[in-house]
Amino acid sequence: MVMGTERLDEATAELLANVAAEDAKRPDEPSLPFGEWVKKNLFSSIPNAFLTVFFSLLTLFAYRQILNFVFSEERRWEGVRVNLRGLFTFSYPASQYHRIWITLGIVLVLSGMSMGLMKSIGRGFSIKRISMWFYSVGLSLVVGILLREPSVLKDADGLARWSFPDGSPIARSETGLLLIRDDEGVSLLAEGESPLLLRESFGSAMSDRGWWWIIAVFALGIGSALWFGFGDMKRRTTFIPAIPLTFGFLGLFISSVWWYQWGHYGRDDAGILISEPDRLVASTTRIPWTILWFVLVLAYVAGRALVRTERAGLTRVLIGFSALLTPFVTYFVILRDPDLDWAHVWSTDIPMALAFMVGGGLIMWILTNPAIGERGRLIATALMGIAVFNWVAAFFGWYAMLQKARISFLLLALAALAAHNFAGDARQRLRSVWGWMGAMVIVHYLATMINTAETVAAPDQFAGGFVVTIYIAVFTMIFSFPLGVILALGRTSRMPLFRVMSTIYIEVVRGIPFITILFFFAVFVEFFLPEGMDLAALASAGIAFTLFSAAYLAENIRGGLQAVRQGQYEASDALGLTTVQRTGFIILPQALRVSIPPLVGAVIATFKETSLLSIVGLTDFLRVANSNIPGQTEFLGVKREGLLFICLIYWIGSYSMSKYSQRLEKQLGVGER
Amino acid sequence: MNNKSKLSQLLALVFAFALLATACGSSSDGEGDTATTGDDTAQADDSSDAADDADDAEDDVELTQGDDLLEQIQARGELNCGVSTVSIGFAVADSNGIYQGFDSDFCRATAAAILGDQDALNIVPLTAAERFTAVQTGEVDVLHRNTTWTQSRDSDVGMDFGPTTYFDGQQLMARVGDGFSSNSTVADIDGAVVCTNAGTTTEKNIAEAADLLGIEITLNTFEDFDIVTQNFIDGGCDIITTDGSGLVGRKAEQQPADQEWAIFPGAPISKEPLGPTYGQNQSRFADAVNWTVFAMLIADEYGVNQSNVDDFVGADGELGRLLGGDGEVQSAMGLAPDAFYQVIKQVGNYSDLWARHLAPLGLQLEGSVNDLWTNGGLMYPPPAR
Repeated sequence: MVMGTERLDEATAELLANVAAEDAKRPDEPSLPFGEWVKKNLFSSIPNAFLTVFFSLLTLFAYRQILNFVFSEERRWEGVRVNLRGLFTFSYPASQYHRIWITLGIVLVLSGMSMGLMKSIGRGFSIKRISMWFYSVGLSLVVGILLREPSVLKDADGLARWSFPDGSPIARSETGLLLIRDDEGVSLLAEGESPLLLRESFGSAMSDRGWWWIIAVFALGIGSALWFGFGDMKRRTTFIPAIPLTFGFLGLFISSVWWYQWGHYGRDDAGILISEPDRLVASTTRIPWTILWFVLVLAYVAGRALVRTERAGLTRVLIGFSALLTPFVTYFVILRDPDLDWAHVWSTDIPMALAFMVGGGLIMWILTNPAIGERGRLIATALMGIAVFNWVAAFFGWYAMLQKARISFLLLALAALAAHNFAGDARQRLRSVWGWMGAMVIVHYLATMINTAETVAAPDQFAGGFVVTIYIAVFTMIFSFPLGVILALGRTSRMPLFRVMSTIYIEVVRGIPFITILFFFAVFVEFFLPEGMDLAALASAGIAFTLFSAAYLAENIRGGLQAVRQGQYEASDALGLTTVQRTGFIILPQALRVSIPPLVGAVIATFKETSLLSIVGLTDFLRVANSNIPGQTEFLGVKREGLLFICLIYWIGSYSMSKYSQRLEKQLGVGER
Repeated sequence: MNNKSKLSQLLALVFAFALLATACGSSSDGEGDTATTGDDTAQADDSSDAADDADDAEDDVELTQGDDLLEQIQARGELNCGVSTVSIGFAVADSNGIYQGFDSDFCRATAAAILGDQDALNIVPLTAAERFTAVQTGEVDVLHRNTTWTQSRDSDVGMDFGPTTYFDGQQLMARVGDGFSSNSTVADIDGAVVCTNAGTTTEKNIAEAADLLGIEITLNTFEDFDIVTQNFIDGGCDIITTDGSGLVGRKAEQQPADQEWAIFPGAPISKEPLGPTYGQNQSRFADAVNWTVFAMLIADEYGVNQSNVDDFVGADGELGRLLGGDGEVQSAMGLAPDAFYQVIKQVGNYSDLWARHLAPLGLQLEGSVNDLWTNGGLMYPPPAR
């Protein structure tokens, strides 16, 4: 089967190469002169011209309002700048930050490597396109500079100056009331009169925005240089690969921390707001960020170096596997920093893991013997009986047993039930024994780490900020996908029990509003747990997200399953494939390929829906911006700034995922077959 | 024949293995937690579930309930203290995510008294709905969470209340431009649009007060007080109402340059005594919590604060005893002799806390009900002897 995938990949690569070649052959679209293009596309008829004018004005108005909002004197962006750490990691102790950097480093190494290992990395962006980017940035800056209203004039105390509607200035009294002081004494604003802010003149506003002008001209200059500097039309279709360009842009952004002071605000040890160069959030994070950038680039280069070697396939599998394990290892081992009780580890954990490895390995060795026949199933069923009995006993408290033993036993029973599928010669049998042992090592390692008291408060306690958003999103993606596949298969299954159960589950979950499910898990779930067992709020929210998302994923995947032609089923039956083989190797790959757009859509939806956590009392990204920053004494009511900021972060996350899915679709040729 | 013996061998192996695993389990269970009664293995033993893990600390408390809570906390080395998720001036996470405020400082003071270290503390932010359950399940030892002392909570809900640390009360805020002043009364708001946040007692209080006076008001409620305030600024509401402490903070920070706001009536329309809350029948722990508050008030009476407390160590009389001198009573309470010295030294006295967290919001201690009895307030700590 490995051979098969390789061949499929090669076919894809070939297809892509063909597409690229065809693209090159295709004659360039005749480019119209600017005037004609405008006439043809924007003002072709009177209604069209009206729509063009109307929507241009609407866009300009919205743009102006946004700029006025962002740059208004009333905005207190330092509320966001000071709280950057709180927004992203909330109360994770600053002395333990290296753990977050290590986590990020692992993620970047894995993504860099897998990017490097991609067979085809696409054509990238044409110089023409890049030059258009620079033009649009430059033009939007110019329009923005001209559109934004002039700044407010301030008095010596830095307070805004006001005027009566007729233009005569207002002075400020100590109580904040607006008064005019003239020869006759003091007079108040008349009833229904509202004061105006005094603003500087248009000319001085333009000269105050000198730096913006320079940046705009610079962007336009680069755009023109790219457009005209490479004179001939051919060069305009010269491509720059996307990944190096992205890395370069990231590098530029990160290096900017070294020569520009991004965050102007920080707090000293006494908690007082300061703006000293050596105390900035940006400056304390610039070394890790720079290192991480190099890590990403190096990982990519390493991936590129490996891609043409024989090891590429194996490396890809290893990276995929590590990517699955990474969330658990980083969360439970790196971020929590478990404080191992070594006496317990030596006396219980290691012996138990060894016992299961050796004992289970023996059982697997015996059960994968092709000669064992029906007796194998008998033994496996007996094992399953014991495993289930252990759980029943736990529920009624008949005898004590380590949870880890109970789980390992269940896993063993499951492996034993499936063992006959792996029957074969000695080499193959040995492989399944090694597989079992490897699984046990991972399970016991993680179980031990998870079970140990932590030395750094894990997200369950610091429960806050972007970390929680990411944690829930990743948790949901990892668990809801397999569950969704199982549900989709169940719903399309020919076995009535599975079909009915899956259908009921999917329809019930899809028939309940998600927020209700979240509240249900936050409030009711303890009634379904054994006496005395308690779920952390974060865990129960994660389970709610998983169960909810799985029902929707199942429907998406079912759509994909139904798109697979009947002939595929018949052909695989004709080849004598078992149901498992048919589903795993023929049907699912095709079904999942078709379902990529809705699946990525579901992932993006989950990422955004994490903001609902704030409603069930968890301090997520939204809650920090929506209630925490406005609650701080210095930033009372500073809410709009934080909300706009998190909008930006959510958008960056969602948009890059959506871009990635578009890429994936192109690579896999979805919709082109 | 051969096959059959193989089968029995296998079965024997399986059972031996099962026994081994079970034995492993039970042996470690015994050594793991001596406090378990063994009846609840799902909870007491190891579990590889992420969720269970987070509750390990809580499990310990639950299992040993019935023992003395004070001793448990001292054995644990950490005080679990519940605060509001966000309550301006009382408990708000700062930019590093560390809770700061009047209430969280009382948590620190209690930790300093019981454990000698203000940082031997685990602050648990709780929503209003979660707070009492959190005490009952032992997730937190004490609440310093804007909790009003009421008859039903004291009896029916199963809580006990310590000395009030902040006397709050519901007040109203209106624009001076609409003809209101700090001398206005509730009767003056006839016909006004009154806004507050939904689902709280403030809503009920103002409706009852209006009924009582026979005036007509339009009551608008919003989910969030930020939205209430925004509506007030924009003119959608004539009057907003909530606890006085909240109104003062809003006025200090959000009053626009072209408006002036007034808070009235002078005597609030409801009584909201806020103080420490803990589970019933834990008198030794309750004593420690209560006397931490009293000690901070007594220190205030003597003018002893965080910066000058070292000058008063070894003083005569009540103050000397409180700071750990001859004849101190702290040892009998199960605390270190210098417990309250640590409170004042590490956290401060009552007015230190006020100056740190509430004064910046524009709340005046002088002349308010929260001032000491010697200054005409309601703070009247019992004598320390």
